[in-house]
Amino acid sequence: MFRKVLIANRGEIALRVISACREMGIRTVAIYSEADGHSLHVKFADEAICIGPPRSADSYLNVPAVISAAEITDVDAIHPGYGLLSENANFAEVCRASNIKFIGPPPEVTRLMGEKSTARQTMKKARVPILPGSDGIIPSEAEALDWARNVGYPVILKAAAGGGGRGMRICRSPEELPGLFQQASSEAAGAFGNGDLYMEKFIERPRHIEFQVLADEHGDVLSLGERECSIQRRHQKLIEEAPSLMITPKVRAELGQTIQRCLRDVGYWGAGTIEFLMDEDGKIYFIEMNTRIQVEHCVTEMVTGIDLVKAQIRIAAGERLSNIINKPIVINGHAIECRINAEHPEKFTPSAGKITAFNLPGGNGVRVDTAQYAEGVVPPYYDSLIAKLICHGADREESMNRMQRALSQFVVQGIHTSIPLHQRIFADPEFRAGQFDTKFMERFFEKQAKPTAPVTEEGHFSSDPIRASGTAHG
Amino acid sequence: MEQNNLQELRELVEFLKSNGIAEFDMERTDLKVRIKFAGAATAASSVDPAQLAALLAAASAGNQSVAPVTIPSTASSPTVPEETLHEVKSPIVGTFYESPSPGAQPFVKIGDQVEVGQVLCIVEAMKLVNEIESDVAGEVVKRIVTSGQPVEYGQPLFTIRPR
Repeated sequence: MFRKVLIANRGEIALRVISACREMGIRTVAIYSEADGHSLHVKFADEAICIGPPRSADSYLNVPAVISAAEITDVDAIHPGYGLLSENANFAEVCRASNIKFIGPPPEVTRLMGEKSTARQTMKKARVPILPGSDGIIPSEAEALDWARNVGYPVILKAAAGGGGRGMRICRSPEELPGLFQQASSEAAGAFGNGDLYMEKFIERPRHIEFQVLADEHGDVLSLGERECSIQRRHQKLIEEAPSLMITPKVRAELGQTIQRCLRDVGYWGAGTIEFLMDEDGKIYFIEMNTRIQVEHCVTEMVTGIDLVKAQIRIAAGERLSNIINKPIVINGHAIECRINAEHPEKFTPSAGKITAFNLPGGNGVRVDTAQYAEGVVPPYYDSLIAKLICHGADREESMNRMQRALSQFVVQGIHTSIPLHQRIFADPEFRAGQFDTKFMERFFEKQAKPTAPVTEEGHFSSDPIRASGTAHG
Repeated sequence: MEQNNLQELRELVEFLKSNGIAEFDMERTDLKVRIKFAGAATAASSVDPAQLAALLAAASAGNQSVAPVTIPSTASSPTVPEETLHEVKSPIVGTFYESPSPGAQPFVKIGDQVEVGQVLCIVEAMKLVNEIESDVAGEVVKRIVTSGQPVEYGQPLFTIRPR
């Protein structure tokens, strides 16, 4: 087992990894920028190294600085967390060349599965259902028009090199395609340094369902069930839950088997998540894979009882999955996570500054993952996530009621947070009934804007939850 | 903290202050102490450890009075106003070396006059040697770190009295 691990990240995930290491008797090294000198992850690590000025590019994304910090502290391994360098194959390669174990898949696999177009091709070969999409990059508007005509509108243009909604454009007709192609390409070039685009069939009202996997370095792969992450605003997840109301045990088992087989063939190891879209008829299509631990890993931990971060570390240390998970995976009860962001709950403007009061909810079935504290400062340089509130219950009803109770006791003063927004969502009848798709937040905001909207307005009150029958209907 | 230890600590602090000692570290089986006085001149403490130990032994035996000990006066250097001294900080994470190679002469010595852009030291990172240049012209007053020591971003390396 590793003696010492460097955590190449910040905020709540850095603290999460530091905590797992501490529980395993592993010494920890935190890295931080000058803006994070008083962060909790710095305070609670055994050692801490300042690696640069506030800007991420000069600090957390600065590979030589991170590796140098790892060398002077003589660590055995680096845990990259999520975001930042976690899916950067070059970084994983530099770790390997520097004889430091990267806690994650090998760089070749990260490249294969991390780039959306190659991941789709890999999944297609493994007979995992994929959304109709271009086999590779679409180099020109003319080819884009051709492809869209064959597959049928609506279609979506996406950046090959990144995500988070950037370099993405939905196109519903051939007239708008050339212009949107240009926009998507230049936005992608600006955000990721690569303007390449690929295209997919677009589903108007999909549900976002993802599967958590763990794989060891000996060829064993396990699926730990799904999470539903349909509540999103501008492609950023707000609320995640496990299990999904739309996945039957049969589908869970079948899809799990398919995924396991595919990742075994690919030589994947570590933790990972396979993302799917479910269309209005219940059909499931692969969209992308994330080759790292995710923000919402906690909901899976709550329903399966498995510590995913510890599993990552043990896998990287060479342990077998059969040792790490020696019982069949059982999904117990229901868990929901709310992402608490430092932003205005209505205007969504970022809210950096000093937290003057910070009271965390607790009690039965409540978990809070946060690196903030009273008198702590939220710096303006990084993403706005300041806490994750996860509630577990015997069923969805109990976990929702628990979440409402916990939100009402989560007091943050000094900055704005999304807590009031979450409270309104949990009071929404459609959300409570599980009637949602990734367009839910758009409709929610419209409803909020006109509280007396008639019930018959198109698209508002859908029919019964879609049964995942697996049959395709027109 | 036990009453004994607390009393001991008070006497220790008084002793250190009255003798102008800026920093003090001590570790015993029952107690670990690190004291640093804010705003103290960076004077090298030349207190005889044996005399200090005797004092502490006397204190812990319940002896309230401070035993008269002869301590070579700590040369408290004339307090230099902090504003006139410039710290050269490391722009990278790595290992500090004062010379271009082992055994070679250091790049600079205390008292040397340096120009802007003059190489003061090396910080080695990922097997690459990075020459660290002075960002001011002036006299090298102090080398803050030792050769072979790991340094982080922003860590002070040298103090220079600018011209």
